[in-house]
Amino acid sequence: MKPLVVEKVVKQYGDHTAVNGISLEIDRGEIYGLLGANGAGKTTTMRMVLGLIFPDEGKILYDGKPYSKEQLRQIGYLPEERGLYPKVAVSEQLTYLARLKGMSAADADKSLKSWLERFGVPEYYSKRVEELSKGNQQKIQFIATIIHKPQLLILDEAFSGLDPVNVELLKSTVKELRDNGSTILFSTHRMEHVEELCRNITILHRSNEVLKGSLKEIKSRFPRERVRLAAEGEIKGLESLPGVLGVKVLEQGGYEIRIADEASGRGILHHAMSQAEVSRFEIMEPTLNEIFIKTVGERHE
Amino acid sequence: MSDFWTVTGFTFRNKVKGKAFVVTTIILVLILSLVINLPYIISLFKGEGGNDVEKVGYVSVQSDMLKSSVTPTLIGGWLKEYYESQPEESRSLTMVPIEGSGDAAADESLLKKAIADGKVDGYVELTPNKATGFYDAVYKSEKMMEGSIATELRSGLQIVKTNAAGLTDAQKKLLYAPVEVSSMQINAGTGEESGRTAAQQGVNIGLVYAVLFLLFMSIMATGQVIASEVTTEKSSRIMEVLITSVSPLNSMFGKIMGMFFVGILQIAIYVATVVINVNIPTNKDALGNMNIHLNDASPDLLIVGLLFYLTGYFLYATLYAAVGSLVSRTEDLGQAVMPLTFLSLGGFYIGMFSLSVPDSMLVKVTSFIPFFSPYTMVLRSGVGSVEYWEIGLSLVIMLVSIYVFGWLSAKIYRTGVLLYGKRPSIKELRKAMKAYKI
Repeated sequence: MKPLVVEKVVKQYGDHTAVNGISLEIDRGEIYGLLGANGAGKTTTMRMVLGLIFPDEGKILYDGKPYSKEQLRQIGYLPEERGLYPKVAVSEQLTYLARLKGMSAADADKSLKSWLERFGVPEYYSKRVEELSKGNQQKIQFIATIIHKPQLLILDEAFSGLDPVNVELLKSTVKELRDNGSTILFSTHRMEHVEELCRNITILHRSNEVLKGSLKEIKSRFPRERVRLAAEGEIKGLESLPGVLGVKVLEQGGYEIRIADEASGRGILHHAMSQAEVSRFEIMEPTLNEIFIKTVGERHE
Repeated sequence: MSDFWTVTGFTFRNKVKGKAFVVTTIILVLILSLVINLPYIISLFKGEGGNDVEKVGYVSVQSDMLKSSVTPTLIGGWLKEYYESQPEESRSLTMVPIEGSGDAAADESLLKKAIADGKVDGYVELTPNKATGFYDAVYKSEKMMEGSIATELRSGLQIVKTNAAGLTDAQKKLLYAPVEVSSMQINAGTGEESGRTAAQQGVNIGLVYAVLFLLFMSIMATGQVIASEVTTEKSSRIMEVLITSVSPLNSMFGKIMGMFFVGILQIAIYVATVVINVNIPTNKDALGNMNIHLNDASPDLLIVGLLFYLTGYFLYATLYAAVGSLVSRTEDLGQAVMPLTFLSLGGFYIGMFSLSVPDSMLVKVTSFIPFFSPYTMVLRSGVGSVEYWEIGLSLVIMLVSIYVFGWLSAKIYRTGVLLYGKRPSIKELRKAMKAYKI
């Protein structure tokens, strides 16, 4: 029984279809990436999963059961636009939110203290939120999301506005939660985070699914069209080789060559080896970033 | 249900701890104490300085004394006698004769000199009035707005006028004996004799005034706070976290209940302040002297006041919460709550302006209209006459409307908290409600 199954949900706002038949399944201990340009229907999908709005068609099942109040308590939600009471002490509002999720005040307090300790900011316990920097508010918001040990986490742009050190800190926490069996629906515009964390993804474009599946499988579906080449000396005549579409000289040395198909790579390698000592040759996998721009961008025109 | 109380507790604690609450409460307590103690404080100042007796000069011309007709000199003398005959502690005037020559211009300058020398505070000038056969008086002094002296002089002159008419002492006594007139409010419908005396009526009017004012202030203040709380939660986006944790109904009514307790606490503090201050012996005497006894308040009024305060609060509070949920930014809130403010203001004004006519048709009709009845029903039971079934009916109407508007507000709230951007029109709101399946 999968913890979260979304089956062909449709949501219409008047004449406008915000979500058009989206399906996804998330396993225990899995992070699922929900990607899409702005206004593609991510927020509406998440709101439906949260039970804030109900789908017009299709259904959403939690552990095989439909939406109920009890399910709600097992969900942790980190909204894209952060919100906390600016004038209320951290300890007070986090225990409040945890209690609303059905935790006892004492448990909530204990959980909060251990998380603050974990994030290296125990001194924020009695501070008001408005006294904290934006990045630190973010940490507090993150704690607010996970304080009640939810089984299902919905993270909307979890790492925005954080410095690299804190991004790593939160990322490792998310991974740990995943390894402990949490089910995580993850939405972001940062493709490198998706590549690092997610097993399966869905890319939405204008309310429709345009790409769906495991990251590996998706990548294999896209042709490898880039060659990274580095050599001891200069290599001439790359442009005139068959199958080469363009050559870019990289700042840090070496070349990036766009090719029509994978087979052209062999010719390039031969050509390069005849001229100089090759230190690096790689036919690159497409990055998710490229795939995203390709899928969403092309349909844009 | 536990969620509801969690929200209530959180709202209550945060408001009571807030600076705004502490500061306004302390300031109002101080003002209330000051107002109640004011009569005593004023009497303290009076007591030290003794009675402030105004010295009023008049021209006394030697030759006039011998004339048989009524001359200004003679009247001045009578006035002097009259004021001197009054008991010293209540005397506020004393007449000072200034020797004059009979020449108007010269006498006037003499009197002015007397003011400059500090012999008198002002002087009275008498000019004959052909129509009445007596004199008109002008009180001249360097101070402005000497209304009390003029009044004092007028009553003095009224008295001494009878001297000019040559009445006997018995006639004068009859003329000046005050006639006792008192009023009593009765209930013509039931024929009961449980009327209210003027003093009770006075206390009730005061109390109705206080209840109306309290109701209005409380609805305005707490309503605004509820609306702005909701808007703040919405604009700070904490709402998105909240509604995934707690049902909108619980979050809305929890907040309303929390604010209700804050309001009750505040009112309890004010009432305690008033009761304690009134019961300080010095103040008790001062108020007693003014014929105010709080025991005169009718218990009916207090109960009705309380019932309608409760129902009125909840009716308005749910609507304020609904309006707050429609607004995305606190800056837009003032404009959005305007209709509610006017509604409340309307009821308040109907109540205030009908204090002297509590049985008019307007009051009777509005005492059954939900948004006005908290004000007008209190007024009717306090100073007018009202049947118990009327109060009951009005209460039932209130309860039904609380239910209806509470339900409507909850729906609006549920939809409104998810709508960002500009304030939605009614049409857009209905569309959103349909889309959200609420």
